[in-house]
Amino acid sequence: MEMFKGAFINEIDKMYRRKKVVVVVIISFLAIIIGQLFVFGLRSGWGLRTVSGFEFPGMVLSAFIETLLPLFATLIAIDIFSVEFNQNTLKILLVRPVSRLKLFTAKISAIGVFIMGILLLVMMLSILSGLLFNPESFTFLGLYRTVISYLVTFIPVMVFALIVVFLCNFVKSGTTVFFITIIMYIAFRGIGIVFPKYSSLFVTSMFNWYNLWIADKIHFLKLAREFLIMIGCAIMFFTAGFYLFDKKDL
Amino acid sequence: MEKVLEIKGITKKYKNGRGIWDINLDINKGDIFGFLGPNGAGKTTAMKIMTGMMKPDTGDVKIFEHSVIEQFEKAMKKVGCIIETAESYGYLSAYENLKLHSRFYKDIGEERIDEVLEFTGILKYKKEKVKNFSLGMKQRIGIAAAILSKPELVILDEPLNGLDVEGMIEMRKLIKHLSDTEKTTFFISSHLIHDVELTCNRIGIVYNGKLVSVDYTKNILMNYPSLENYFVSEVDKNGNV
Repeated sequence: MEMFKGAFINEIDKMYRRKKVVVVVIISFLAIIIGQLFVFGLRSGWGLRTVSGFEFPGMVLSAFIETLLPLFATLIAIDIFSVEFNQNTLKILLVRPVSRLKLFTAKISAIGVFIMGILLLVMMLSILSGLLFNPESFTFLGLYRTVISYLVTFIPVMVFALIVVFLCNFVKSGTTVFFITIIMYIAFRGIGIVFPKYSSLFVTSMFNWYNLWIADKIHFLKLAREFLIMIGCAIMFFTAGFYLFDKKDL
Repeated sequence: MEKVLEIKGITKKYKNGRGIWDINLDINKGDIFGFLGPNGAGKTTAMKIMTGMMKPDTGDVKIFEHSVIEQFEKAMKKVGCIIETAESYGYLSAYENLKLHSRFYKDIGEERIDEVLEFTGILKYKKEKVKNFSLGMKQRIGIAAAILSKPELVILDEPLNGLDVEGMIEMRKLIKHLSDTEKTTFFISSHLIHDVELTCNRIGIVYNGKLVSVDYTKNILMNYPSLENYFVSEVDKNGNV
């Protein structure tokens, strides 16, 4: 456990010191501000009915989960795996007394912390922004739904990140991984639309599964099915990713 | 004599037909072992296998009686190394790079980090980002990282790469100092015959992927005028000059 802890703290430390994380935070912040200004402009300028204060975080999440969040997760996974392979810095860690399984798990955990951190940051900013521009709409039920939505969204994004990690260990170049991920994302989305019957097999179509959690009537069976599919995917891609990571000769 | 490192029949063949074949070697406590061979002889491959960076096709390596393949953490607990090139994170300072290494060991604080930075002559640059360092300074960081945990076995692959004459002399002194004061065992690869002769008390010659001879430096120098003559003679015996 000591070795895992050391490897995990190192990954968080390195992630924190890279400029990319700061850029991600700034982009998230700007996206929310622009979104809120847009909503505010529509309402006050044209008198259109838009989202209330506690609908705003949900609106942000639905836009974020389809665009920026998968992109951020992809970039961080590439940074943690592909960039380290290509810059030859992975061997710094591989010759220390820590097993490859612990190192791999520490890297995956760091990606998990990043995803959860971004989700919480976006959640807090959007709640704050919603309250600031529309304070009278505050309800505890709204707050509860917002928190649940953001928390459960972690699972599909993490599974998506595990697929990217697998690709990072399968393909050497980070740029190639990036383009494969984009093509895969568009393909999954496209197949999901053309063949809706099979859409539940793709993790990208589960990005909005938080809606199942906040619906007036919760469909437990559907919830359980989607959860199990995601867990299955996570186990498969973690195992496959680790297999390749462990076999890698440096 | 206490065996620190046991290499048992390691073989690794690359797709291009090169590699190493059936290398067997024991390193005893206190040895400063020089792994001598020309470029492409298989030194780095053998060292990568010894440190778990690469898996052999056959054979095993035991460090302090623990298999590198099966008990990696235990095997590497008292080992420090530089393999191929001394890598570091350019966006971190010298201190932060070493802090990162220290997290894998118990009781390594700021004092020890400063101590190894002092040893390697880069203490005054400890807060500078490594990306601004010269090749020689990066090599020194690598050496500092290798000895940070006070390892009992230090494996250095071409440690003099990038060092100026002053750096080479300091490095030699450092190796002698650690060997004398802390009884550290060294396994050093090099293609610089003169340097190996000056630094190492036991020498193995690797040629075309095979370990062709192993002997103590004093024995070699009793029978040959220099290590270079011994090297040529051993390589000649194996069919090449």
